[in-house]
Amino acid sequence: MMTISFDSVGLSFGAQRLFDSLHATLPSGQITVVTGQNGSGKSTFLQLAAKFIAPDTGKVVAAEDGSILQKDAFRSRLAMVTPEWNLYARLTAEENLRFFLGLRGMELSAEEIRVLWERVELKWEDTRIPLAGKLSTGMRQRVKLAVLLAVEADVWILDEPCANLDASGWEIVLRAARQAASEGRLILWATNDPREEAAADAVIHLPWN
Amino acid sequence: MQSSIFHGIKLVFRKEFLAGMRCKAAWAAIFMFALTTLSCVSLALQGAVLEPKLQAALFWMVLFFSSMTGMDRCFAEEEMSGTFLPLRLYGAAQAVLFGKMLYSFFLLLVLALFISILFFILLDVGSVSLPEFLAVALAGVLGLSGAGTFLAALTTGAGVKSGLFSVLMLPVILPVFLPAIFLTGRVFGGDSMPFSHLGGMLLYDLLLMVGGSVLFDYFWYEE
Repeated sequence: MMTISFDSVGLSFGAQRLFDSLHATLPSGQITVVTGQNGSGKSTFLQLAAKFIAPDTGKVVAAEDGSILQKDAFRSRLAMVTPEWNLYARLTAEENLRFFLGLRGMELSAEEIRVLWERVELKWEDTRIPLAGKLSTGMRQRVKLAVLLAVEADVWILDEPCANLDASGWEIVLRAARQAASEGRLILWATNDPREEAAADAVIHLPWN
Repeated sequence: MQSSIFHGIKLVFRKEFLAGMRCKAAWAAIFMFALTTLSCVSLALQGAVLEPKLQAALFWMVLFFSSMTGMDRCFAEEEMSGTFLPLRLYGAAQAVLFGKMLYSFFLLLVLALFISILFFILLDVGSVSLPEFLAVALAGVLGLSGAGTFLAALTTGAGVKSGLFSVLMLPVILPVFLPAIFLTGRVFGGDSMPFSHLGGMLLYDLLLMVGGSVLFDYFWYEE
């Protein structure tokens, strides 16, 4: 079982104290939703959980069955969808997908990729012909979801994953997250959408300081 | 599943190559810089022949400044376009560093070839020992690509773009540059080349790559 623990975490940005003695334990096998007003630090909370930034005080620890995971080992078990990450605009959707999977040492057959595109409801020709920079924002979001689904990571960190998606896209994300949690993955999801909050097994509400 | 480093290097190189090929403007800027500089020098000289040492210095200066028009952006561009995060998330440090370094090396080799051809046509360089010239060019290009890629990564991490890159690049590249100019001058002058200098250059290239590789891990996995 994998966990991410926040132990007395404090973090400031300039004069603003974002977190002060924050304690939280995020277990695998459930969807943990992080909510809070704009500026309350949802995305920063996710970045701390992903160990992309370090707290000023306290610590964030990723562990599996009681053993602490080192940064590189933890990162290789992690997948993210955040508004900050983009596809390579001068590669096609499929080239992007194959590139990111390849970096994780994964290679999918043409049939597996076709199934994946069907799962995120993207047309085959849209993934192979236009460059990713020419796709709509919603389609690019679906490509990011395809990467997320394909890498089979143990930890999913999702920052507003349904942004720019239509109703069917929203359903895909929710279904995938529920299935992933039931398979024992750790799902951390930042949102302000009450429908997504309703799907959570646990909610962390960040106060606005 | 852990990707092998070599497979990762190949993937990063292929990605850089594909993206580079689809952005002809970047290539055009680099090659036009070399073409414009050498054409201007050739026209200004009006047929006069430069000293071999001056020719050598000019050759490396043109190569250096042509390469600088793009090399400092190899990581900053990832950051600006929002691809740095997924690259850091999915890519292993060494695969990314050496994949990008390999692409820089390839780009600089093509550039060096282009500049060499222009140089021999426009600046009336005498007959040279091609194997010796190639050996110096390869060692110099290796140092330039190694130092450039690593410093580009470091300056991206510092959040400062080309200003810091240029300041850091000068002291790091001088131990490659000075022997490269000296040796190229000897080759252009038809003199024998002291191989100890070439060995020193290659040793420094190796140190740059090993040092860069060790430090890059800290940069890549730094919180």
